[in-house]
Amino acid sequence: MSNEASGAGGSEKGVADFSIKRLSTGSVELDEVLQGGIPENSLNIIMGEPGSGKTTLAEAFVFANAGGDRPILYLTTLSEPLDKVIKYLQAFRFFDMEKMGSAVQYEALGDELATKGVGALLPRLKDAIKTLSPKIIVIDSFKAIHDLATSNQEMRLMLHEIAGLLAAYNTTVLLLGEYRHEDIVTFPEFAVVDGIIELARNALGTRDERYIRVFKLRGSSYRPGFHVFDITSDGLQVYPRLVSPVEAASYKRDSSRTPSGVPGLDSMLAGGLSTGSATLLAGATGSGKTTMGIQYILEGLRRGERCLLVNFQENPTQLAHQMEQIGGKLDADMRSRLELFYYSAVELSIDKIVVNIFRALRRSVIRRVVIDALGDLAVAASDPIRMHHYLYALVQHFAVQGVSSLLTLETDLPIMPNDEHDGRLRHMSDNIIFLEMKTTEGIVGRTLRIAKARGIAHDLQPRELKIDDRGLHIVEARR
Amino acid sequence: MGSQTQLSGDDKTIILVVDRNSHICELESHFLNKAGYVVEFEQSGDSVVEHALKLHPEIIITEILVPGVDGLALCRQLKGDPRTRDIAVLIFSTLAAVVRAKEAGADAFLLKPLAEDALVATVRQVLEARRERLRSTQHEQRS
Repeated sequence: MSNEASGAGGSEKGVADFSIKRLSTGSVELDEVLQGGIPENSLNIIMGEPGSGKTTLAEAFVFANAGGDRPILYLTTLSEPLDKVIKYLQAFRFFDMEKMGSAVQYEALGDELATKGVGALLPRLKDAIKTLSPKIIVIDSFKAIHDLATSNQEMRLMLHEIAGLLAAYNTTVLLLGEYRHEDIVTFPEFAVVDGIIELARNALGTRDERYIRVFKLRGSSYRPGFHVFDITSDGLQVYPRLVSPVEAASYKRDSSRTPSGVPGLDSMLAGGLSTGSATLLAGATGSGKTTMGIQYILEGLRRGERCLLVNFQENPTQLAHQMEQIGGKLDADMRSRLELFYYSAVELSIDKIVVNIFRALRRSVIRRVVIDALGDLAVAASDPIRMHHYLYALVQHFAVQGVSSLLTLETDLPIMPNDEHDGRLRHMSDNIIFLEMKTTEGIVGRTLRIAKARGIAHDLQPRELKIDDRGLHIVEARR
Repeated sequence: MGSQTQLSGDDKTIILVVDRNSHICELESHFLNKAGYVVEFEQSGDSVVEHALKLHPEIIITEILVPGVDGLALCRQLKGDPRTRDIAVLIFSTLAAVVRAKEAGADAFLLKPLAEDALVATVRQVLEARRERLRSTQHEQRS
């Protein structure tokens, strides 16, 4: 017997073992949110206000899947004129002229719908299925068709027929619409579709942050929550919300040490910080946090490691100058192993920063990361709880990948209070080092104190610290 | 593309489709007609045997979830009746019941939704296998 049960495992008891095929959205990151892409043969709504990126998402999806022996049909209705849609489509890099008219077919339904009413859609779709066998159908905008219905009953009946037809045939459908949240409970199409994806904007101070959210994806898991995105010439650039890695509980911790690059500090830590550990470096302004971060990176470079320095205050030129002052001129090999990320505090988005850090980690085997400073990251996160979720997930990813991280935190207090904010930071850090400044008889002195070093013997006594043109050093260990 | 299927010597072959979904019936009819087959319909499983005895279809394509006698019971009925056991049965269903279809004696199983290429190819394959089976039976009887 032949078995053409595509997508079916043929399980006979209880839930069938369906392995749903996915269609890429054209964005690796959006596919990650959707656990691989839009499920094949599904009916989906892409909702969002005008200008939110619905058409861009749909077009990128269309061109990512164009080709093969079945075309893709893009139907415009009563929102944007077809000519305008095609005009702006050409500005995107995913646009492929060769595919227009063959692999991708655009048709305008507006006039037909305006003349014949909502009843024109069903025969038009049937005709398209019979004559084109489209593997994907996009209707842009589906919501606009509501305005033509003479009654709710007419719209419901039409929708019932359309949903039945599209479910019967093996095609993947996107229904685009300027739906609002309240429409989800009142518009019948939301009950029948398999997937709902929302594109929206959120005002953050003087700027807007775009986000994408999956509301529903029948038969499939997806990454819930708000995922920030930009619209670029490549389409949607999505920054998936960070979650802790699933392998967090099972990774093997490296027992080796990562020398700090600060003379005298490693002997206080019985050889250095644990490899793969997260170190919180706290101190007031001018206490030497950035300098120690640079020394930590330079030590890694001297040891042949790849290093990443994420900075929010000083641009790469200033930073490179500072590094050369402390560590001397970097040779070509050291420069090639150093990645500098600079983000302006004005345009920060924690999702983008985190995704870019992960891209860097994927590109090459980075052993050390310095984030200078967490306070700037907190601004980017827009709320402290979100910041802590991100930071926790980030630190977990670092640990799993054996990346040693140093995170600087500006604080005027000698001891971190056990409040919700700093308490969380304290718990997620493997090591905590304080750089403190004290004025005694009119003279400002510096000390370094190790408050915590998970799993390793460490010196708890504050040690005198000096900063000179070569960076920080513990006084007893003067070079 | 499925819609480009060529007409062949199958143009007089009768196919009986048992399905209550009007969209499926319409699309199946369209693609199978296009492939050169004559298509008849039944919406429930109750009178299929009776209908088959009059129509002499070479193949019956049935959904499992149909009113009256379900598709699997219908398949067992057809395969258990000497008058209809030579009719090929293709179970075409929303239920991923390939094993049950096999146990019921079906010649092939296809999972919905409808994909014209897979449908036409499976029908052709099943018909070819049926004809081959009938030729060997006739050859054995003669010798």
